[in-house]
Amino acid sequence: MSTKAFILVVDDEMGIREGCKRALSEEGYKVDDADSGQSGLQKVTQNGYDLVLVDLMMPGIGGMDLIKKIHNMDPEIITVVITGNATIETAVEATKLGAYDYLPKPFSPEALIAVVNRGMEKRILSLEAKKLYAERTQRLLELVNERSRLRTIIGCMADGVLVANLEGRLVLWNTSSVKMLKSKGFDIAGESLEYYISNEPLIAAIKEVLNSEDKDFSMISREIPAQDKKVILMANIAPVRDEGGNILGAVTVLRDITKLKEINKIKSQFVSMVAHELRAPLAAIKGWLEVVLTGEAGADVEQNQQWLQRAMDRADSLLAMVDDLLVINRMEAGRIAQKMEPVRINDVIIKIVDFLKPAAEKQAVTLSTKLPDDLPSIQADLRDMEKLFTNLISNAIKYNTDNGSVVVEGKIEGSHLCYKIQDTGFGMSPDTLRHIFDDFYRADDERIKKISGTGLGLTIAKKIINSHFGHIDVESELGKGSVFTVCLPLEHRKDQKVEQ
Amino acid sequence: MPQKRKILLVDDDLDFLEMHKAVLMNHGYEVTTATSAQEGWEKVRAEMPDLIVLDLMMEEHDAGFSFAQRIKNDPLFKKTPILMVTAVADATGYKFSLEEDGYWMKTDAFLDKPVEPSALVDSVKKLLDQKED
Repeated sequence: MSTKAFILVVDDEMGIREGCKRALSEEGYKVDDADSGQSGLQKVTQNGYDLVLVDLMMPGIGGMDLIKKIHNMDPEIITVVITGNATIETAVEATKLGAYDYLPKPFSPEALIAVVNRGMEKRILSLEAKKLYAERTQRLLELVNERSRLRTIIGCMADGVLVANLEGRLVLWNTSSVKMLKSKGFDIAGESLEYYISNEPLIAAIKEVLNSEDKDFSMISREIPAQDKKVILMANIAPVRDEGGNILGAVTVLRDITKLKEINKIKSQFVSMVAHELRAPLAAIKGWLEVVLTGEAGADVEQNQQWLQRAMDRADSLLAMVDDLLVINRMEAGRIAQKMEPVRINDVIIKIVDFLKPAAEKQAVTLSTKLPDDLPSIQADLRDMEKLFTNLISNAIKYNTDNGSVVVEGKIEGSHLCYKIQDTGFGMSPDTLRHIFDDFYRADDERIKKISGTGLGLTIAKKIINSHFGHIDVESELGKGSVFTVCLPLEHRKDQKVEQ
Repeated sequence: MPQKRKILLVDDDLDFLEMHKAVLMNHGYEVTTATSAQEGWEKVRAEMPDLIVLDLMMEEHDAGFSFAQRIKNDPLFKKTPILMVTAVADATGYKFSLEEDGYWMKTDAFLDKPVEPSALVDSVKKLLDQKED
């Protein structure tokens, strides 16, 4: 018996109190006493006793009353009645009130200790039982909470979740999975997977996991087409195992990777397109170098010089293409920090026209401008503007006819500052017009093929215009020439999103 | 030397057209060129070349392919050997065959771009010799 057990003796007879204290102290109990029901009640209120010995016959608060009050306070306190006039009636009455036992006076120390020991055992057992009960209640509560928490968590997930048991019946799922599989909805748990899902590859994959005899594997990942192949799902299916490693069920997590697949496809197409566009000029350069080095086409020095120049020209255009690709790449990665500042587009154009004049004269193309002095500055990136108008004006010169002309004209149209670049060049068919902003696109025309170009100039122009919230319009007629009109907003709106 | 053998080069890349022309002319062939399948077909009919060097990848992806088929299906030209040159055998997914069969493309020989000048000359010579036999 624990020495810590704390016992109170309530009796108006000092002899009884002293006798009990002595006997119980020797037994290792901690003992306190009270000489009346009143002071006994007070002590019980103040101290935590394990067991109280109560004399029934006391002035003031009597024993019965005290027992009642003690049990009201704490039903786990063991009470033992000590009484001088022991009758069956009083004993029964005390027991009804919750007293554990009774001890008729006079009693021997051995009898006292036997009763107290028994009472203490009962107390320990009932405390233990109470504790277990409390724990069990708590566990059940946690379990309920856990389940509802789990449902809330998986219910919020954008990924689809399906849990199937060993028999292939659905036991847990979330709304995302219903949406992804376009199922009629899983209203009742416990039906077979086939009942809810019409996706055969997915069911096959889940069954493969459920039926696996491999004790080590932890997950299979598979791309699964869904919704008539409009959607691609990545399904990660993992077995749920018991302690012995036996499979109890399978958890399936579905992720919609349709967008990723599309982006990946576009990326692959772009890489393949770039590779092809780079290979062609490289092959031509190598070809010319071989012709010169092997002498297979003759050894005429002047002729060889010309061929080397052809290789040089292709190398130049290859370099220009790589530079353009780098510009596009930096723009797409957002690494070119635009520096928005007031820019006078008129000044930009005058500078470019001066720079391109020799090239125009070489082709007998007249280059002129109509730039009213009162056109305002706009918020723009100076380097972008230089690149944009260089691309457009040099195109107008390059794809022009002998004795042709290029006119650059600026004016305000509503809320936009617009520049029209008009040429008397080759012009374009409606079919060509549809593609001019495509990466690497070059019109299928004899004359154009002879002119070096990367097929990226207009791609870059369009990206610059978009990043400045402007727009570009093209009018063209085959054989007559083209008009490119760039319009940039007079007021730069910061709240708009940049569309690349 | 007997009458010069005439070769038609069809390629939309002017550099290849000119370099192959220079090499073949230096080896004593008469060379005529075309930069599209349409022009190629016109030249075939007008000039009756002894051999055609054809780039597979022209303006449209299968232009070279259709052009070759047109030649091979024409009783007048079906014996004219075609030497296919291409930079993108893998990318197009077309398979070449030296035998005639429905699915595979009928061609007499093919070379990868850029074609080594000596390989071009050897192939042309070989095809023309076979034609003689």
